[in-house]
Amino acid sequence: MPETVLQVNGRQQTVDVDPDTPLLWVLRDTLGLVGTKFGCGGGFCGACTVHVDGVATRACTLPLGRMNGRAVVTIEGLAHPVQQAWADLDVAQCGYCQAGQLMTAAALLARTPSPTDEEIAAGMHGNLCRCGTYMRIREAVRRAATLAASQGAGVPR
Amino acid sequence: MSAGLSRRTFLHASVTATGGLLLSFGWDDPSPLGAQPATLQPNGFVRLAADGTVTIWSKNPDMGQGVKTALPMILAEEMDADWSRVQVRDAELDRAKFGGQGSGGSGSMREEWDLYRNAGAAMRELLAGAAAETWQVPRDAVRTERGRVLHPPSAGVLDYGALVMPASRRPIPPAPIWKSPSSFTLLGTRVPGVDTGAIVHGRPLYGIDVRLPGMRFAAIAKCPVFNGRVVMVDDAAALQVPGVRQVVRIPGHENPTFLQPGVAVVADSTWAAFKGRDALRVQWEEGAFGSETSATIAAQCATLAATPGTTVRAVGDVEAALASAARVIDAHYESPFLAHATLEPHNCTADVRDGHCYITGPLQMQTSGARVVAAVTGLPVERVHVQATRLGGGFGRRLLSDCAAEAAVLSMAVGGPVQVVGTREDDLRHDYYRPAGTRRLRVGLDAAGHITAWDCHLVNISRNAYRRGDGPPWSTETYGLVAGVSAAIGPDLELDLVPWQIPHVRLRYSEPRTGVATGAWRAPAHVANGFAVETLLDEIAQVTGRSPVDLRLDLYGTTSALPAAGEDPTPYSPDRMAAVLRLAAERGGFGQRPPEGRVRGLAAHYTFGSYCAQVVELTLEAAAGTAPRRVAVHRVTCALDCGLVVNRSGLEAQAQGGIIDGLGHAFFGSITIDRGRAVEGNFDRYRLIRHREAPRAIDVHVVPSTLRPTGFGEIAVPVIAPAVANAIAAATGRRLRRTPFVREGFTLG
Repeated sequence: MPETVLQVNGRQQTVDVDPDTPLLWVLRDTLGLVGTKFGCGGGFCGACTVHVDGVATRACTLPLGRMNGRAVVTIEGLAHPVQQAWADLDVAQCGYCQAGQLMTAAALLARTPSPTDEEIAAGMHGNLCRCGTYMRIREAVRRAATLAASQGAGVPR
Repeated sequence: MSAGLSRRTFLHASVTATGGLLLSFGWDDPSPLGAQPATLQPNGFVRLAADGTVTIWSKNPDMGQGVKTALPMILAEEMDADWSRVQVRDAELDRAKFGGQGSGGSGSMREEWDLYRNAGAAMRELLAGAAAETWQVPRDAVRTERGRVLHPPSAGVLDYGALVMPASRRPIPPAPIWKSPSSFTLLGTRVPGVDTGAIVHGRPLYGIDVRLPGMRFAAIAKCPVFNGRVVMVDDAAALQVPGVRQVVRIPGHENPTFLQPGVAVVADSTWAAFKGRDALRVQWEEGAFGSETSATIAAQCATLAATPGTTVRAVGDVEAALASAARVIDAHYESPFLAHATLEPHNCTADVRDGHCYITGPLQMQTSGARVVAAVTGLPVERVHVQATRLGGGFGRRLLSDCAAEAAVLSMAVGGPVQVVGTREDDLRHDYYRPAGTRRLRVGLDAAGHITAWDCHLVNISRNAYRRGDGPPWSTETYGLVAGVSAAIGPDLELDLVPWQIPHVRLRYSEPRTGVATGAWRAPAHVANGFAVETLLDEIAQVTGRSPVDLRLDLYGTTSALPAAGEDPTPYSPDRMAAVLRLAAERGGFGQRPPEGRVRGLAAHYTFGSYCAQVVELTLEAAAGTAPRRVAVHRVTCALDCGLVVNRSGLEAQAQGGIIDGLGHAFFGSITIDRGRAVEGNFDRYRLIRHREAPRAIDVHVVPSTLRPTGFGEIAVPVIAPAVANAIAAATGRRLRRTPFVREGFTLG
């Protein structure tokens, strides 16, 4: 089986898994990074969102074979004001979708450091929350924008 | 779910030198085995370490409703613990320590209140007594505050941790005195969920995150038609898939809520299990329901609705009252199957070894889960050990423990730990759906517009029948339905039946038969019944020219007019219902002129001991051809009475989330049956509400109360759909009697 070499949360990883395997399952089952969540397997819900070369990407439909030389950040490697904002506002209910929400929000703020409510709604539209935490997500994105502005940390690492 | 233990029996002191309950699963106890210092643990709920750290066990699982934070808050309040030094654990199933365990029916606050208060109060008394003894002062001279005992006259201060040893030598107070709610400092405040840190950093928390040494992953092929059977399996191609280890046939259990038949592929990874399962060639016997469709089920309901049905309850002479009524409203309501769609897919991990079964996974009900596993494995129930993890959503799906049963039988077959994982398609096509049904309501009005007769014929698939439950089939389907109660049948008053002052009332039931698997869905039966009743009341108010608020207030009557509630510690109170209705109407501006272009609707409901009323304010896009008209929900004003508020943050979150859940399912939710199988397989077809479709604002107003707390995980859900339908009726004159609204010409946006 061809090896795939990729960077995950700043560390180089050599993975010897079928290249058809979605990145999601490589993260969860091969690398033991279970923070990235399986929700739908079809790119509909956003629970599996990670950053690939800085871009919010659905890991459940991204084959490992396309990952050679690319840099992945998962929730375990995220260090961004969105996490503080999410905690401050007690956003999570069951919490299962929130890793994906946080990754999407961090990428949104990197593109749009000070989003309007409409930009938040559009930017977060692809991430489902079955518990309905959308009100607090909106508030938390706003708060994270403020925190990031005060910390000068608008870009996810 | 209540423990049924007296205060005396569950309090037994011990100084423990051993650690937590969760060591076998690795992630919950940060301290290494055997390294704990002496601790004080007077009961199963709380442990105090010499460093002042307080560990509190949440006996019931958290699926987002917040019990893992709220139950420990109750104990910490009574104990006067310092919340910043509290750590919380998910309790393992342990009948001796915790009594029955499970989360369902919004019961945790209502049912565990006494246990957690007693456990905390006992701890406080032990510590205060130990401090008084240490200082050689009377007990009354000391008081407790934020993890310390104070002796004001001498300015003495002792940290709780310093009192572990002296307190452990004291007798456990058999009936500790509770604090007065006026002295509460923690309850009623906003406390973030205790798992927040783990969630925002992606630490393992959920059943699907469990990893055990040597664990295999399994995916199960089930007959696409409900109740089908395996005839023949060709597993040659599946076994060729790299990583696939084994193919196992699962025979199923006679009770389909325990275990369904299927063919499992066991592999080294989740993905290999999925691929192997896809490569199976299985011949199925489809059984008796292979030709069912949504249309045949609807036709069956319509046929049954025209029959007399079984009279469940009757007061007066409904037929005569309807015959002599000045006006009769005859309305049919329809509700579809709904899927639970927990975002964490179906999964569970089991390890059967040495005659014991260890279950770790997202179960709502640990106690009944152990019974189910015992039934399918043949193990004695006391050898089934259950560690419920945090659940990535429950909504009633995980009241059933079929995932644990699957994992257990596979672990037995494989001889090692197995994690069963379902795909989203498995989840949506093999759910235990909210049962579909129809309601025909006929209401008689006299010349003055008063309701003289109320006849409800409920034609709804029975989940009680499906689960082989005791009792009549309607027992699970009548919740929240207006049955009408007069003083003459007072003793028959059921908690969930809102009493109404109508002289002639009848409730009838007919049971449609189907192969479709059914189960409880958040606020079971309340959602469909509340929709029918609350939209019908609005219609009655409209045709009789009355205010929807006044009409309801008259029907509620007063608490003093109700028959005595017997033993129920949280009896239904019409006064509390009236208060939330008034509060929502006032704060939501109901009856006042809304801003230009907007329209308001109101509804109220009583669910599992709690009271809720909502006013919705929305804009309706102009009709354009046949496209659905877009509904923008600007504001929902939600009034609640759940007794004393434990965690304000959790309460508001559940109100907002419940409204968004109820709104999304009202507009989009429907599982279609075709050729005996569920059609929708993923979120492209089973639409869930998305960010942009949520209300712009949800204001939550709580009736101040010191009454015993009741749950709020479900109460907001049944109210929003009728409030929206009533607003749409106000704007268009059109009465929506069916969900999903998207098929009635309205969508969200």
